[in-house]
Amino acid sequence: MSHAIRKEALRALVGSWLAEGKRVAGPVAVGPGRVLYQPLVSPERLLLDGFIRTVNSIKAFVFPRHEELYAYRFRGRQVELIDAPLPEEEQIVIGARPCDAAALPVLDHVFRWGTPDRSYERRRELTTVVTLACREYDDHCFCTSLDSGPRDERGSDVLLVEIDEETYEVVWLTSKGKDLFVRHTERADRKGTIGTGPKRKFDAAALERFLAENFESPVWETFALRCLGCGACAYDCPTCHCFDIVDEGDRHGGMRVRNWDSCQFALFTLHASGHNPRTAQAQRIRQRIYHKFRIYPDKFGDTLCTGCGNCSRGCPVHLGIRPVLEAISALERKPQSAPPKTP
Amino acid sequence: MTAPPVSADPATAPNLYLPDLMEVLEVQQHTADTKSVRLRFRNEIAAKRFSFRVGQFGIFSAFGSGEATFNICSSSTWKDYIEFCFRRTGMVTDALWEVDKDDTIGFRGPYGNGYPMEKWRRKHLIFLGGGIAMPPIRCAIWYALEHRDEYGEITIIYGARSTKDLVFADDLARWAQYDGVQVIRCVDPGGETPDWDGEVGFVPEVLKRADVRSDNSVALVVGPPIMIKLTMPLLTRMGLVDRDIYTSLESRMKCGVGKCGRCNCGPVYLCKEGPVFTLEQLKALPNDY
Repeated sequence: MSHAIRKEALRALVGSWLAEGKRVAGPVAVGPGRVLYQPLVSPERLLLDGFIRTVNSIKAFVFPRHEELYAYRFRGRQVELIDAPLPEEEQIVIGARPCDAAALPVLDHVFRWGTPDRSYERRRELTTVVTLACREYDDHCFCTSLDSGPRDERGSDVLLVEIDEETYEVVWLTSKGKDLFVRHTERADRKGTIGTGPKRKFDAAALERFLAENFESPVWETFALRCLGCGACAYDCPTCHCFDIVDEGDRHGGMRVRNWDSCQFALFTLHASGHNPRTAQAQRIRQRIYHKFRIYPDKFGDTLCTGCGNCSRGCPVHLGIRPVLEAISALERKPQSAPPKTP
Repeated sequence: MTAPPVSADPATAPNLYLPDLMEVLEVQQHTADTKSVRLRFRNEIAAKRFSFRVGQFGIFSAFGSGEATFNICSSSTWKDYIEFCFRRTGMVTDALWEVDKDDTIGFRGPYGNGYPMEKWRRKHLIFLGGGIAMPPIRCAIWYALEHRDEYGEITIIYGARSTKDLVFADDLARWAQYDGVQVIRCVDPGGETPDWDGEVGFVPEVLKRADVRSDNSVALVVGPPIMIKLTMPLLTRMGLVDRDIYTSLESRMKCGVGKCGRCNCGPVYLCKEGPVFTLEQLKALPNDY
C-alpha cells in the first residue's frame, strides 16, 4: 500500500499553497528548450515533464546568488551597522530533480562546520523540497556513476515517483514533507516505478586512484586547452558554493553583500602582491575537480557533486565535469587493460 | 574525517559576517606605501571579550570599499588595542590609506591558528622576514620579548627592497637594545644608500653569512614565496628539523571561516587550518600556494 496523488490534484494542491500566500518555486519554461527553477505565480506554469533538467539548480533558494549580509551607514566619522533581517518566509520547491535535492545535505557540511552560517541555516529550515524522480536522462547525466540515481532521496522532504500518466506515488521522507501532503493523497495499490537511471559513465574508484597520484599531471593542461574559464559550470552547479564578499553603496552608506563566485576565474586567488597560486586555467580546472572529488570527501565525507551534468549542459565548449572524469577514468584503465605479466 | 554538524538556532546565532566597529587611535606611515593602524573596539563588551594568539589574522573593513585580510601585528599581551599593517595596493587598501585618527573601520576575527608560542619556550628563536612580511613576525617578536625569560637567544633578519622600504624600522632599533637579541637588517643590492649601516643582500644570502645560533632553535620565515622557498633549505642545512621551521602562508580570503572556498591549498583551508604551518606540513601539501 502506498500514497498517491493524481497529477491534476497535485497542480490544484500547488494552487492552494499559492492561494495561502506560500512561496512556491518549481521548473518553469522561460523560452524554447529553456527551463528554470523560478518562483511560481500560478500552478499552470509548473512544468513537471518534457524536459531533462533545469538550467539552474535549487541551491539559489538556500544560498542566493546575491545576498545582503548587512548594511552600513556613515554617520560623520562613525559607522552604523544594520544587520540583515533573517529570512522568514517558508518556501516550497516542487519538481526538484533528485540531483538538486541531494546537493543540499552536501552543502550543509561547509555552511555548518565551525561557525554556522545563519542565513543559510535559516533558509534550509524554511524550505521544503518536493522532488520528482527522473524518468528521462540525457548524455550529460551521470548520477549513477557517483552512487546516486534517479530516485536518490537525499535532501528531499517528499519524493514523487510516477505510477502512470495520471498519477504520482507520494513518498514522504520528513515530517515537514508529510504535513504538506498528508490530507491530499489517496491510497494506491501500485508503487511508482522508474528505470535504473543513466548508464554508468566512469569508474569512481579509478577516479579516486588517479587523484591520489596525479596532482601534477599533464592531463590538466589538455582540458585547459578547451576551457574558456567562463565559470558557467559553477553557476549552474547545485553544489558549487564559493562566494565573494563586496560592498555596494555610495557616500551615504550601502550594503555588504555576498555573490556567487567561481574558482575558474584567475582573479579568484590573486594576491595583493601579484602572486597567484593558480595562474593557469589548468590549475583552476584541477582545483575544481580536486575540491569536488577529493578535498570535500576527505573533509566532510561527501562528494561535492551529484552527477547532474549541468556543468556540461551549460558549457560553451562541451567540457564540464563528466568529460573530464570520463577521460581520467579511461587513462586509469589503460595500464590495467594490458594483459597481466605475472607468471 | 567527517566534521560533525554544529546545530545552532539561527534565530539567535550571530551573523558571522558582521564586524565589530573599531576606532582608529593612531596611524603610522612606515614607507611610501605602507602604514600601520592602531585600533580600539568601540563596544566595550566586545573589547573585554576579545583575545587572540599572535599569528592569527583579522578581516578589516573599509566600509564602502570592502574587506581585506591582515595579520594582527600587535602582541596578544597588549590589551588596549590591536594593530595591523598594510601596503597600499588595491581598492580596500586605497580606502584604508585615507583613514585617520577617530575614523571607524570594521574588524572580524581573530581567525586562523596562530604561532605555537608555548611550544617554542626554552628554544632559540630565528625570525626571518621580507618586506611587508615584517608585521606577521613583529607580533611574535614582541610576544617573545615580553616573555623574555621563556625564550633563548633571538635572531631577527629582516630584508626590504631598499632602505626606504623597511617597515617598523623603529621597532627594529628597539629590539636591538635587548640582551640576547641580534637584529640584522638588509636591503636588496642597489637598495642601499651611502649611509646604510645594515647588510646588503637578499635574506637567504644574509642568513648564510650571519652567525646564527641554530641548536635547539625554531625559525619563523615569512615573506614572498621566493624568499620562503630559498630560505627554508638553508635552515635545514643549519640543522633545524622540518617541524621546527615555520611559516605563515598568504592567501586571498573572503570569509575567514572556511566557507567561501577561496583559500584551500590542496586539502587544507588556510583560514582555518593555517595560516601557520611547519615545513613538515608544507611538504605534505601540493604546490598550490
